[in-house]
Amino acid sequence: MTSSHAFRRFAFAYGTAFAVLYVVALKLDLALFTVYPSLGIVLPGTHHSRDVTGPSMAFLAPAIYWYGWTATGALGALMVGLVAAFVPARWARRIWPGWLWVVPALAMVACVYLTMPWFRL
Amino acid sequence: MATALLIVHGLVAVALLGALTHQALAAWEPASARPGSFFGRFRTVPPASFASATVVLYAASALLGGIVYLYFRVDIRPDLERAGHWPALGFFDLKEHFAAIGLALLPAYWVCWRRPRADEPVRTRAALTTVLAFIVWWSFLTGHVLNNMRGFGS
Repeated sequence: MTSSHAFRRFAFAYGTAFAVLYVVALKLDLALFTVYPSLGIVLPGTHHSRDVTGPSMAFLAPAIYWYGWTATGALGALMVGLVAAFVPARWARRIWPGWLWVVPALAMVACVYLTMPWFRL
Repeated sequence: MATALLIVHGLVAVALLGALTHQALAAWEPASARPGSFFGRFRTVPPASFASATVVLYAASALLGGIVYLYFRVDIRPDLERAGHWPALGFFDLKEHFAAIGLALLPAYWVCWRRPRADEPVRTRAALTTVLAFIVWWSFLTGHVLNNMRGFGS
């Protein structure tokens, strides 16, 4: 019974925290790692091409940040979720359960805002 | 290999789309629906029974999408960039973001449906299901359109 309640608190905190932390990672470009699929290498942290003389080189070695942003959000949310699992149940009951869908919905709106530059090109 | 994975990804997405749409509509549909109507029959199925299948299908679809994304980033996206399909790439970026947010919601979604608490508002799980259904519809349509623009093997 207790573990079931703890998992509930973990799950609710994880979902909402991930939504917030993912947007933060996206905005601040905080990828836990960068993947170069064509080269088959993974580098820790966020890496952007510094080749100003030949920007077309990016086509040869495209970088993937999405995995890294997701990992950043997942790691942060895991910590928040674990803390929430050990929070006394009476504290958790004071939190409005609607945040569970409101926060992700707002995070999605924030993602739309951060993606707007694509539509202005 | 990429084409086979993409087809399986699409098939899993179709199943997920059906399960989540069914569940979301069943969760919101008011009790006044005529039993003989389409929506009335929709409600006769227990929406909670879709929860575990939805979690498995979403996770499988995300995993397959994550693998196919490697091929997309190397073989497809550069062509779309050179062709100037920026809005399409923007929509695809949103698909990535939404799918990640939805993936993290699965544990809470499962708890809401399979371990509901008496004092928990029913609207919470209905709204959460709607958010997930929106994500899946967005992802499906965006992926489908992009595949039409520059599919694997074209």
